[in-house]
Amino acid sequence: MGLKFRCERDVLAKALADAGRAVTTRGGALPVLAGVRLELTGDQLTITGSDLDLTISVTVEVAGAEDGVAVLPSKLASDVVRSVRAGAVDITVEDDDARIEASPSEFAIRLIPADEFPQLSSPDGDAVTLDAAAFKAAIEQVEKAASSDDARPILTGVLMAAEEGGLRLVSTDSYRLSVRDLAGSSVLSEGQKVLVPSRALKELARVVGDEESITLRLGERDAGFEVGSVSVTTRLIEGEFPSYRGLIPTNHPNQLTVDRTTLLDAVRRVRLLAQESTPVRMAMSADGLELVAVTQDVGQAHEAVEEAVYKGDDLTVAFNPEYLIDGIEVAPGDEITLETVDELKPALLKSAEDPNFLYLLMPVRVS
Amino acid sequence: MSQAGRPPDGTLGFVHVDMDAFFAAVELRRRPELRGQPVVVGGTGDRGVVAAASYEARLFGIHSAMPSTRARRLCPHAVFLPGDHAHYGEVSAAVMAILRDVTPLVEPLSLDEAFLDVRGALHGEDRAAAIAAEIRARVLAEQRLTCSVGVATNKFLAKLATERAKPKASPSGPVFGSGVHVVPVGAELDFLHPMPVRELWGVGPATAKRLSSMGIETVGDLAAQPVRRLEKGIGKAAGAHLHALANARDDRPVVTDQELKSIGHEETFARDLCTHEDLRPQLMRMADAVAARLRAGSVLGRTVTIKVRFADFSTITRSVTVPEPLDGARAIGIEAEALLRRLDPTPGVRLLGVSLSQLVDGSVRQLTLDEARGPSWSEADSVVDEIREKFGSSAIGPAALASKGEGIRRFEVGQQQWGPDRAPASGSD
Repeated sequence: MGLKFRCERDVLAKALADAGRAVTTRGGALPVLAGVRLELTGDQLTITGSDLDLTISVTVEVAGAEDGVAVLPSKLASDVVRSVRAGAVDITVEDDDARIEASPSEFAIRLIPADEFPQLSSPDGDAVTLDAAAFKAAIEQVEKAASSDDARPILTGVLMAAEEGGLRLVSTDSYRLSVRDLAGSSVLSEGQKVLVPSRALKELARVVGDEESITLRLGERDAGFEVGSVSVTTRLIEGEFPSYRGLIPTNHPNQLTVDRTTLLDAVRRVRLLAQESTPVRMAMSADGLELVAVTQDVGQAHEAVEEAVYKGDDLTVAFNPEYLIDGIEVAPGDEITLETVDELKPALLKSAEDPNFLYLLMPVRVS
Repeated sequence: MSQAGRPPDGTLGFVHVDMDAFFAAVELRRRPELRGQPVVVGGTGDRGVVAAASYEARLFGIHSAMPSTRARRLCPHAVFLPGDHAHYGEVSAAVMAILRDVTPLVEPLSLDEAFLDVRGALHGEDRAAAIAAEIRARVLAEQRLTCSVGVATNKFLAKLATERAKPKASPSGPVFGSGVHVVPVGAELDFLHPMPVRELWGVGPATAKRLSSMGIETVGDLAAQPVRRLEKGIGKAAGAHLHALANARDDRPVVTDQELKSIGHEETFARDLCTHEDLRPQLMRMADAVAARLRAGSVLGRTVTIKVRFADFSTITRSVTVPEPLDGARAIGIEAEALLRRLDPTPGVRLLGVSLSQLVDGSVRQLTLDEARGPSWSEADSVVDEIREKFGSSAIGPAALASKGEGIRRFEVGQQQWGPDRAPASGSD
């Protein structure tokens, strides 16, 4: 088992880094998973990293000399290749070592036995195609509302469901909920829904680059995304996503309309005085919107937000500033609306122009 | 997290509890043969001082902090006992635990004295008085010790009220006090002004003498003085301070002495319980009591612990930590019951306890979307709190108790009001 090739440093370094993002950082589990698998067939080099839940494979064109398979320690290989001088890098596997040569440097890195690397199957469902840019934007609009708490596995996923001939993405960490509709992307059959780990979608969004399309294959237990030379395969999360339809209020007596970046800048400023988990208060009246933050023993901030238009009863609602900012940041368009019922009911943040995005946010109760 | 109550706001709810002749009473409890005799606890050597004197001993003029040699001269036939501080500490902890059952806002001043802020558990004037009476009754029932309780709109007045409630020494033996004295809202000055100035905190013999030379004998005289004159006469800080007190102003909140680590409730049963069916209603009642206290103290807890003591006195605890902090009776009950279900009660359970730890501030709380689903359990809890506020703590309780003859009458509650049972957090459509 030889394996010998030459590759441009920057191409190889990027491929190792991308595949390495799936490599487990939790030590211990299975030592071989700290490695990336390199497989050369002709001039095609495929680098794969996996933590068994998420697998990322990157295929790059190299000058192949000898086909073969080898597993290298991911972080070390990546660090070495990134550190050498720009230009060609030669990799040769001999016995138990991988030799990495890039004049004037020469490294020999001990291999991890390749036969221990798990057999990773790819989902065998029919391939469907998604618009890469639109899907990437949709992921970025919902991934923040997904939970990062492993104690609640279902909430760490993004629900992908067929909805009225399109594709709907939904995520929630139980404090807020994002819903994004991709009209016309009928990649799932009607009624079909899968729960995809948000981490996998985040990695996918990262590698989209200038590619135009993403190919999706769904299996029983996993989903595979291919974009350009990268494939991202992920286990699906089993379990029932919380019902969310009933949560979205249909009747809002109060509506605030405001320029998105104006509000975003104002909340970012006022947030500086909302420390130690104190909220930012939005005081809404016929005069418009005032933001207030008060942290005991630290200080306070006030800002009257320019050109905010409010229709409804005078109302003050308190929000976690981070959650509020997350929603304002990802809402599409220049103008947003915030619809409220009262200070304890979920507030609905929408784009004034684009009906395909909703961000539902629970207030902070101050007693 | 540290705990401080709100400053006074004019409502009745500051409670001062003072044990009656504490060390002496504790000694009499374990030496009942000494009852009726003058008993003095403290240093028995030549340099010792009196730590406590029974009311019979006080009749001879003995009081705490007096040199023991002088006490002996005043009453040679008194029984002098050395102090057993380790034991008093244990008894004190048990009394403080009773107080913390009422509210987490307990500020111990010493082993035998504490302030409570019960406004969170309130209710109006009658309730504050009722809580004071409950405290006395529980301390007597559980510790066989008496205490006196003052209730007022701030700490300073509550402490003075306690003095009114105290037993007094008299030639024919101790005269029991009222036990509880309430200074009603609006009656603060009527209560305060006839008192001699010496009654005020911070007025020692020297200050009293100086005030007297200024023609000030009663608290009312003091209140009528311009602050300037007082400041000139007895110093700036003391003058302003006494003037505020004389006008019944004291804005100090109740501050707990320690970080509040857990809130719990436990009970020993009259007979050992051997089945889950018998234990469940008890557990639900305790979950309800703990939840009410969490809400009264504006805290939530993430870790639910149950404590089980079996007939042979072996004791175990089991706990679970949940992602979302809890203050609801139902949610705490569900977690506690899941823990209990894993235990075998057949050897007989004599004591059961439920407590919540990993407490977080509940005054600012990120709401969850689950709370937006129809009428929520937290709304039900606040209705329960309101009902209890109006009608007392036994007016409403968990349905699990209804069939168990716990004194709760059962009504059929409409689905509309309470909503149907639903699966927790991650339920389905």
